[in-house]
Amino acid sequence: MTRATLTTLFGMICIGLLVVFWMAFGSDPHAVPFLLVGKPAPDFVMKDLRSGERMTLAQLKGKPTVMNFWASWCGPCRVEHPYLEWGAKQYGQDVNFVGVVFEDSEEQALQFLRENGASYPQLFDERGQISVDYALSGVPETYFIDDQGIILDKFIGPLNPNQLTEWVRKLQARKAKNQAVPSAPTPTNTTQTQP
Amino acid sequence: MSSHLRRGALLLLLLIPSLALAQYALLKAGSTPLDPEREARVEALSKKLRCPLCQGMSIWDSTSAPAVAQVDTVRRLVSEGKSDEEVRAYFIARYGEWILLQPKAEGFNLVVWLAPGVLLLLGFAVIAAQLRKGKAAPPEPTQLAAAAPAPAAAAPSEELAEYLGRVRKEMDS
Repeated sequence: MTRATLTTLFGMICIGLLVVFWMAFGSDPHAVPFLLVGKPAPDFVMKDLRSGERMTLAQLKGKPTVMNFWASWCGPCRVEHPYLEWGAKQYGQDVNFVGVVFEDSEEQALQFLRENGASYPQLFDERGQISVDYALSGVPETYFIDDQGIILDKFIGPLNPNQLTEWVRKLQARKAKNQAVPSAPTPTNTTQTQP
Repeated sequence: MSSHLRRGALLLLLLIPSLALAQYALLKAGSTPLDPEREARVEALSKKLRCPLCQGMSIWDSTSAPAVAQVDTVRRLVSEGKSDEEVRAYFIARYGEWILLQPKAEGFNLVVWLAPGVLLLLGFAVIAAQLRKGKAAPPEPTQLAAAAPAPAAAAPSEELAEYLGRVRKEMDS
């Protein structure tokens, strides 16, 4: 191997490694990638904690949805809950609000709701399967699903009223856009359902 | 009074870590393990999937709630007869390749896998080349002569000759 070949090879490898490092330096090491943006929300069947009835994603279509994952043992969820209650009362006419209880017992979740209010449906995610289907990375997390069942994005951490209002407006804008340009029906992911 | 204070402080000290760890508490046991063969697959797959909450740990090693739910999901997918590749694909579809503790050795990832080895080999090649150079034959005398500092001018200058003549005269006398 000639000296020139060695130097070229060395240079190419160094450039490759620099590109890898550059890509790594540009990203937040704690950020968890979320690849469901723009994809159909995974279908689900979950039990409503209070009524005991089964609820499916299909029942929510036609209106945008704010889906909040929470647990009674999660401190930030306790902080966020009143804002979601306020949001449900404020925007409930135009937007579905749904809570999903993650890795918790029904008794503890119901106790939490008795103490903190429950003006919108609260679904029980048995064994956290739906949460994994939705690529949950912790609680609280809030998913914004448009009127056609497409995930707009998710918000990690506790929402405040301003952030919630901003997201609701985005959902409403998306709905207006969807209605202005009628699109073909989107397929839903029906692989993951709760028995 | 002071003993009450001490007891209160002790309770508070015990309470703080409990509250801090509440987020990670395992509130529910995971799903029932499968038969040994399939459970071994669940373990092997889970050990290669990254915990989204604790990071740097596999979902198998983590006791955080999301990790427990993910292990349950791996168990469910395995019990449904999904292959290892299908289980990995399920998680990659949601979290990207970030979820894999060991990235796939294909495409651009190959740079990361191969570069250290290639650099090591290059390093050995450079060292070997230097050693070969060091063991090369000793330089020839002509080369040494060429390398030696140039001797003083063969013919002394007139001034020096005159000076040397005076010295000789003085020594003779």
